[in-house]
Amino acid sequence: MAGVSTKDIKNRIRSMESTKQITKAMEMVAASKLRHAQAQIQNSRPYFEILYSTITEIVESNSDFSSPYLTGSGGQKALYIVIAGDRGLAGGYNSNILKKVCAEAQDKEAAVLPIGKKAIDFFRSRKMPMLTENYPEAADVSIGDCFSIAKLLSKAYRSGEYDEIHVAYTKFESVLSQTPAVLQLLPLTPKGTGEQKGSVDILYEPDATSVFDAIVPEYLGGVLYGTLCESRASEHAARRTAMDSATKNAEDMIEDLSLKFNQARQAAITQEITEIVAGS
Amino acid sequence: MTPFPLKIVSPDGMEFEGMVEELIVRTTTGDIGILAGHTTCVAPLGMGRATVVVDGKKRYAACIGGMVSVVNGHVNLVPTTFEWAEEIDAERAEASYQRAQAVLDSKSASDTDIRLAEARLRRALVRRSVASTK
Repeated sequence: MAGVSTKDIKNRIRSMESTKQITKAMEMVAASKLRHAQAQIQNSRPYFEILYSTITEIVESNSDFSSPYLTGSGGQKALYIVIAGDRGLAGGYNSNILKKVCAEAQDKEAAVLPIGKKAIDFFRSRKMPMLTENYPEAADVSIGDCFSIAKLLSKAYRSGEYDEIHVAYTKFESVLSQTPAVLQLLPLTPKGTGEQKGSVDILYEPDATSVFDAIVPEYLGGVLYGTLCESRASEHAARRTAMDSATKNAEDMIEDLSLKFNQARQAAITQEITEIVAGS
Repeated sequence: MTPFPLKIVSPDGMEFEGMVEELIVRTTTGDIGILAGHTTCVAPLGMGRATVVVDGKKRYAACIGGMVSVVNGHVNLVPTTFEWAEEIDAERAEASYQRAQAVLDSKSASDTDIRLAEARLRRALVRRSVASTK
């Protein structure tokens, strides 16, 4: 019975305790960051909803102008903006999104714009062409950065460097569920049911094309910021869940080990008594 | 005057939602005023002061980037940055103005530095002028 010495078990329990403390602390940090990120989503959501609905209204009711943002050139050169985390220990958060991008980009001539350290490391080791490595900290990217990325993207798109632009992010469904998703940013295709609302006359100030050209970069920046907020919240939620289950596992193991420890101790005592009784 | 519904949303959240009598904003081609019954319209915003008239009282704000749209009488103002005059940190705007000016004055600044400084200068000027009109 005393196959494992009580000392070994004691050591294991002690190391498990400290692991548990760390995972518990990480869970608590993630939970508080998650609250912050959720508030951010809540604040910014109306902005995207209005931005999105305005742009789709224009696209769908449009009949009198064409723009490179609308039609696309039909090429195969795609750019993926990939938003992942800066750190690991977040369950499947990073690997899910990276796997999704790989599957999507498989048969395209794809380049990436990684945001977050994990995404950069991943694509560097895969030797995928990267537009820029300037955003190694997903947590530090501000709304201003989003707009400068958007400007960069619309310039590259208009000059024909890319034919499609997608953003890969993790959608924050709830605290317990996050799903990786890929959203097509450009070209903007009217996804209406075919029925034209053509009779809506919109007054464009100064004219349709320049309004469109001015609004699309805004739209891209806005959508990027929105997806970034979602991704950050997802990362914290994923980490919280992962750390929660790690803490639970540690507790289970400690319980198991304590039982073994007590058995071993009891066995040792019993043996000692038997020896004393037999010896007298 | 007949009021109309206005929503102002920036990435920081909903800044205003309610009935107003008049809205004046700076678009890329100059100021436009919107009253009730305006036709459906979309315009990109420039950098400047926005004036909202609520119950006969004027409220001012610094409004930079984004767009304004009127759809079926509902007005949506979707700026990139939006700050009511009373919320503007005048000291910060002043400091940012000084910093930008210093970059523009120095001879060693690179092209990107100058571009960034110019943008910062313009934003600071808008904020400063709006803050002084509260």
